[in-house]
Amino acid sequence: MSIDWVTVAAQIGNFLVLVWLLKRFLYKPILNGIDAREAEIATQMGEAEVAQKKAAAAEAEFLEQKQRLLADNSAHAERIREQAEEEKDALLAATREKLEREKQDWQAHLEAEREAFIRQLHLASADTLYQLVRRALRDLADEDLEEHIALNVIGKLKPLAEELTSAAGRAEQAIATTHSPLPENTQEKMRAALERLAPGLSLSFTTDARQAPGLILRIGSVQVAWTIDSYTDELVGLLTERLAAGGSGRVNNHG
Amino acid sequence: MEMTPDETTLFTVWGVGINETVGYTWIVMILLTVASMVITRNLRPDVPPNRWRTTLEVIVTAIQSQIEEISPRASRHVLYFSGTLFLFIAFSNLLLVVPGFTPPTASLSTTAALALSVLIAVPLFGITRQGIGGYLKTYVQPSVVMLPFNIISEFSRGISLAIRLYGNVMSGAVIAGILLSIAPFFFPVVMDVLGLLTGLIQAYIFAILATVYISSATATVGKPLHKEKDK
Repeated sequence: MSIDWVTVAAQIGNFLVLVWLLKRFLYKPILNGIDAREAEIATQMGEAEVAQKKAAAAEAEFLEQKQRLLADNSAHAERIREQAEEEKDALLAATREKLEREKQDWQAHLEAEREAFIRQLHLASADTLYQLVRRALRDLADEDLEEHIALNVIGKLKPLAEELTSAAGRAEQAIATTHSPLPENTQEKMRAALERLAPGLSLSFTTDARQAPGLILRIGSVQVAWTIDSYTDELVGLLTERLAAGGSGRVNNHG
Repeated sequence: MEMTPDETTLFTVWGVGINETVGYTWIVMILLTVASMVITRNLRPDVPPNRWRTTLEVIVTAIQSQIEEISPRASRHVLYFSGTLFLFIAFSNLLLVVPGFTPPTASLSTTAALALSVLIAVPLFGITRQGIGGYLKTYVQPSVVMLPFNIISEFSRGISLAIRLYGNVMSGAVIAGILLSIAPFFFPVVMDVLGLLTGLIQAYIFAILATVYISSATATVGKPLHKEKDK
């Protein structure tokens, strides 16, 4: 066991060289690499922290927006509900109005039909009544209804002779309108009667199917009439009343 | 029986004989340097570390953490010095398993050279940290009476380091030589395994003791120092 001092010196030199070499190629690169990586990690951590803060801020903003949206939605839904309510009310009102209008139309139509029916009834009644009375008179008393009507009119004219004369003025023509043509002898009787009341006044006869049975005499602007309208009106009134009583189940005794 | 590789000449350069100790030291140096160069050549922060780089990082950071445990205020120069001691000794001892390779640490000249390096490095680190006056004051602490004892202690550290390392490495070689003559087919394997273990332990002990000596020389009472970085 001996120490070779030359070798010792060489080994000291070798060791120092190795220290330098390892410092140059091992420690510095490794430690600097670690430092750089730590710095990068620190930077990334900082960036991550910033990103986390941003994410938290974004989350808060998102939640706020969500809340706002929910509130908006509620308000919107409330507004829509109110609008729907208003629209429903409007539709209901329009429907009611339409129904009312249709009801009025229907009532008007009903009224028109009723009036038409009454008018037809009136005409039919008048005609029936006229025919019945005429036949009754002929069968029972051998009398002519038209003649009696004409005579009745002449009878009514007598108290009005002065009024007729003044009203007729310069009129030279009198017109007698009947529902059906009068017999010739009845016409002659009426002409004779009128000649006595208003001399010089000629009388002509016309017929009008739309007119109620009876006679209407026109002298200038004066008109004297005798028709069975009033009787017909009474008959129609009675019939209507009876029909109404029958429809409602009531029995009204008119004597 | 050959007991020291200093006496065996490996090759001759310009008439100067290079013995096994120096020759194998160069091999260890070349291997360590080339391996470091290869592993650290593409070292960028954005490139993830590979297996070898991670191994080196683990070794270096382990050495660094050991040094910081002993001396929290140690500079990187201590890492360079003590780390190189550990790596050189450990690598030399691990190469014991290579047939025909004689570890340089099996030479008393090498261990003496390393011990001398520590012996020189300790006051240098102390002077660097505390200045000449501050360092010399440590020899008269706690009183002037202690001056000779401190000087003896300083030298005995180096001698004990050298003898310990040499003794352990050399004892392994001697025991292996003896057992090889008794049971040539079985004992060498066991002894080699044992040699690897003791070699690593010796490397660790040598480096740790060197660090302890340096840290005791660089410690300044009542004056905290910041960790030094490389300039």
